[in-house]
Amino acid sequence: MARLVADPDRGGDVLVATATPPGASALAVVRLTGPTGATLAVARRIAPRLPEAPRPREAALCRLVGEDGQPLDRALVLFFPAPSSATGEEVVEFFCHGSLAIVAGLLAAARAAGARPAVRGEFTRRALANGKLDLAEAEGLAALARAETRGAARRALGLVEGELSRRVMAAREKMLDVLSGLEAALDFAEDVAAPDARGVADVLAAVAGEAEALATTAARGGARDRHKVVAILGRPNAGKSTLFNALVGRDRAIVTAVPGTTRDAISETCEIGDEMLTLLDTAGLRATEDEVEKIGVDVAERAGETADLVLYAIDMVLGMKEEDEEFLGKGRAGQTLVVGTKADLVGGDAEEGRVEVLASARTGLGLEALRALLAARLGFVQADGELLVLERHRAALVSAASSLREAAALAGNLPPAPELVAARVREALSALGVITGETATEELLDRIFATFCVGK
Amino acid sequence: MEARWEVIVVGGGHAGCEAALASARLGRKTLLLTRERATIGRMSCNPAVGGLAKGQVVREIDALGGAMGLVADRTAIQFKVLNGSRGTAVRGLRCQSDKALYAEEMTRTVNSAPNLSVGEGTAAGFSLLGGRLGGLTLEDGSTLVCGAAVVTTGTFLRGLVHVGDVQREAGRWNEPPARALSDALVALGLRLGRMKTGTPPRVRASTVDVAKMARAPGDARPVAFSFRSRGEAFPRQRQVDCWLTHTHEAVHDLIRESLPLSPLYSGRIVGRGPRYCPSIEDKVVRFSDKPRHQIFVEPEGLSTDWLYLNGLSMSLPEKTQESIVRMISGLERAEILRPAYAVEYDMVFPEQLDVSLETRALPGLFLAGQINGTSGYEEAAGQGLVAGTNAARVVTGDEPLRLGRHEAYIGVMLDDLVTLGLDEPYRLLTSRAEHRLLLGADTAYARLTGTALAFGLVTEQEAAPVFEAEARVARVSEGLSGARVRPDRATRERLAGRGVSLMEETTLAGLLRRPEADLAKLEDLCAEMLDGETAADLAALRPEERDRLVADLRYEGFVTREREAIARVARAAERVFPDGFAFNGIPGLSAEATERLERHHPRTLGQASRLPGVTPAAVTLLLARLLSFRRGVAA
Ligand SMILES: Nc1nc2c(ncn2[C@@H]2O[C@H](COP(=O)(O)OP(=O)(O)OP(=O)(O)O)[C@@H](O)[C@H]2O)c(=O)[nH]1
Ligand SMILES: [Mg+2]
Repeated sequence: MARLVADPDRGGDVLVATATPPGASALAVVRLTGPTGATLAVARRIAPRLPEAPRPREAALCRLVGEDGQPLDRALVLFFPAPSSATGEEVVEFFCHGSLAIVAGLLAAARAAGARPAVRGEFTRRALANGKLDLAEAEGLAALARAETRGAARRALGLVEGELSRRVMAAREKMLDVLSGLEAALDFAEDVAAPDARGVADVLAAVAGEAEALATTAARGGARDRHKVVAILGRPNAGKSTLFNALVGRDRAIVTAVPGTTRDAISETCEIGDEMLTLLDTAGLRATEDEVEKIGVDVAERAGETADLVLYAIDMVLGMKEEDEEFLGKGRAGQTLVVGTKADLVGGDAEEGRVEVLASARTGLGLEALRALLAARLGFVQADGELLVLERHRAALVSAASSLREAAALAGNLPPAPELVAARVREALSALGVITGETATEELLDRIFATFCVGK
Repeated sequence: MEARWEVIVVGGGHAGCEAALASARLGRKTLLLTRERATIGRMSCNPAVGGLAKGQVVREIDALGGAMGLVADRTAIQFKVLNGSRGTAVRGLRCQSDKALYAEEMTRTVNSAPNLSVGEGTAAGFSLLGGRLGGLTLEDGSTLVCGAAVVTTGTFLRGLVHVGDVQREAGRWNEPPARALSDALVALGLRLGRMKTGTPPRVRASTVDVAKMARAPGDARPVAFSFRSRGEAFPRQRQVDCWLTHTHEAVHDLIRESLPLSPLYSGRIVGRGPRYCPSIEDKVVRFSDKPRHQIFVEPEGLSTDWLYLNGLSMSLPEKTQESIVRMISGLERAEILRPAYAVEYDMVFPEQLDVSLETRALPGLFLAGQINGTSGYEEAAGQGLVAGTNAARVVTGDEPLRLGRHEAYIGVMLDDLVTLGLDEPYRLLTSRAEHRLLLGADTAYARLTGTALAFGLVTEQEAAPVFEAEARVARVSEGLSGARVRPDRATRERLAGRGVSLMEETTLAGLLRRPEADLAKLEDLCAEMLDGETAADLAALRPEERDRLVADLRYEGFVTREREAIARVARAAERVFPDGFAFNGIPGLSAEATERLERHHPRTLGQASRLPGVTPAAVTLLLARLLSFRRGVAA
């Protein structure tokens, strides 16, 4: 019944944004989205040879001109008419060469032609507003953008392609069917007979099972997405265990002044930013004849290879040594963060070539900066809605499943209490609403009126 | 008629009467302005009060000091609880009313209320004073001064009655419509829509053969709407039966053949009709596989021979109506006293109102009832009570009465109206209430008497017996929870004989929670185990209170969870957006929601959640952002 009327004036601007990550690369993609006509007009200012009515989804090689009318680049241009585009609006994509100057020139040209730079998430919001995505899909898109492992990307892609949405929607359909039968009999007792209790209980139990299965899937995705592994490596006595204890917040590893104290790798979870990660303390790297220590060094090296990030400790009192050079020289540059330890002994402004941050586990100096750097390196952007996605979905599914189990049990009771069954089914529906972004009441009424001949 | 009033109520229907009575009750000098005194409290459609969700509303009105419940109790000729075998939360009290007696009793109530006067006239426009409502102008050119007004014009705004292809301007069958007021509302900047409702034929009782129909009797033990009926003879009127008959395929064929003659199908009626109260044309077209539809034959009163054919509303021509009616079993010789007709009328889209029912366009002007797009006497009366109360309070500069969705069906209705808007006449349904289990008719007094007292809608003397009864139920409930039942042999056997098994120690309350147990089965056990005073309390409970006692025990777990949810929402709703909080750039938030948020800049999450377009999912995203924003600021 009551439908919200969309604002006619929403989404008026033509937006421009780079779709590829910032920084020099072979290719960069710049996108325009906006009202039909206006978007193409902006595109044709930049690519004057683009036809007035380009063929949809066909690449055209065009010369691009900058703000000043000078040639900028030759690029492939793709045109997507509304509504069959990613945002549901008219979209034009430029595949240009990835130099910073070209991309900047292209953006400036688009602005000069009347486009507005999009703020973060704005393309997605338009897609959402135009019904191109539901909330779960939009969240998936956000997850995809920050997915670093291929597994995470695949899972996020599942969300985007509506896999989760589709399955949740299918479960929701069944719930709404059952509920509309119950509700119709409650609200129109003189016109509609109560549905068969056994049948209701069976359907509800089946849907509960589906929700549980989905929750398990979401949990697996969530767990792998979040728990990254950071291994602390370094020479013996570099202060690794002391740093480890400081980061995990308790004395977990033994600390002594004797080099070679730590043998086995010690693992502990630790919170950085809003995320949990697994931190490993390892044996100091050195050539040794001691059989036990040797195994420890092997373990440390393997941990260094498989970890998402190596936190490499250098004792600032001693400075860089040959072993350090050797390890850092192996070139896992992107995956190593070099920390200078025992900063309290050398003063806060000591310098050493590769050291990125100075810290003292004893005084706490520099630990905050180290945490921030860790978060940044691991891609833990500041927490907001998008990082809660999978956990949120999992929690919603678990809670829906438990409400449905209760509902199924109640439905099997005699004498039946349909209002109580309905209360639990509604609870489950509103839990799922967190995923799909929809509330059930209006839909429920639509269904009652479409299915049952009610009223006098 | 005097020219100066504190509050003027326009219209004497169900909304108008409650509005005027509430305002007068709060001590405001109130005028009930009606076109014709004789139409006060008239039931223009079915001769019944209450029903599912509606019965709860009547109770709420009663708890808030309104008149509908008591008037209905005094003039009812049949009482029936719908869903009587289901849980107390979804039972619907209903009565068949003697229409003439009802209007008479309501008129008497209005006439005897202190501070309340009745005047005849038709409002035509509004006069402004310093940006607020300052008075009304009438069609005869005279003017009245007031501090606030409640407009309750029902189906009269540019009312247009259809019977087949015959149309005439009327608000009800033969009463002239209000023509000027629609323009005056538009001139205030209000957006108007058009809706449609219908009413079935009335036939002469002496021409109907009820022997061919099924008897539809009332309950053997009537349940009253009003608490105040306990102090007087009840039921007061002779109780009578209704009758049930059905349409059949041949009737449906005729209706299908006649569709071109129906203004509903020929497109002549533009207003939207309600889906929950479909015309017979609609039922036949939309549910073509249903071989028959029910027709309840209801007397309109004890001293009239008019019968109301509930289920046969239509807008076919009179001649066709006669043929249709006479094909139905028991109605073969029926004389139609008044044909079924449809009425179209103007309404004001209620999103333009505050939940207090004051228009945002003109402070001091309140709207209640069908003008807000609702249907039903009870919905109208509930709004009237709220609007009248708030009109009175606006005059004295007091905070308005606002009822929450978890407090009352009236609260659900007001919130739905002002936030969702509507595109068909709105009727309350229990499925609209997310906290349905809290909103049973039996709990109306527990929910609302405190509020009523605080707002001066009931006096302490009136509230005292209500509180006393509540306390008695609470004492018994406590007694039952404290009385331990041990599974010794004797008790086990005693209970087994009644189909109740006892394996481990429990309490009387624990036994009562079991679906197979009830108070009647445990009567003797209760009498033995409760102390004398509590046993006396139990014996003094009325049947409805006994049901409630058991229902409260069975609903306990559910109610606790709902209350937790309400508290959670309330806590979240109190979260304030800090300075510098940006509503744009929140991933997942729709453009529509973002724009609304940026435009309205809500102060709290609760305010944000009430904006149209801000879905529960959007609220979750806002909450997430709010939490991380807090952390960001603290770090
Ligand atoms: N002053 C100061 N001393 C530190 C700091 N961190 C570690 N130390 C000292 O350095 C010595 C070695 O510390 P550990 O944490 O055991 O070093 P490790 O790298 O784990 O050593 P192995 O396990 O032997 O490889 C201990 O005596 C610590 O007290 C620091 O930040 N400041
Ligand atoms: Mg160590």
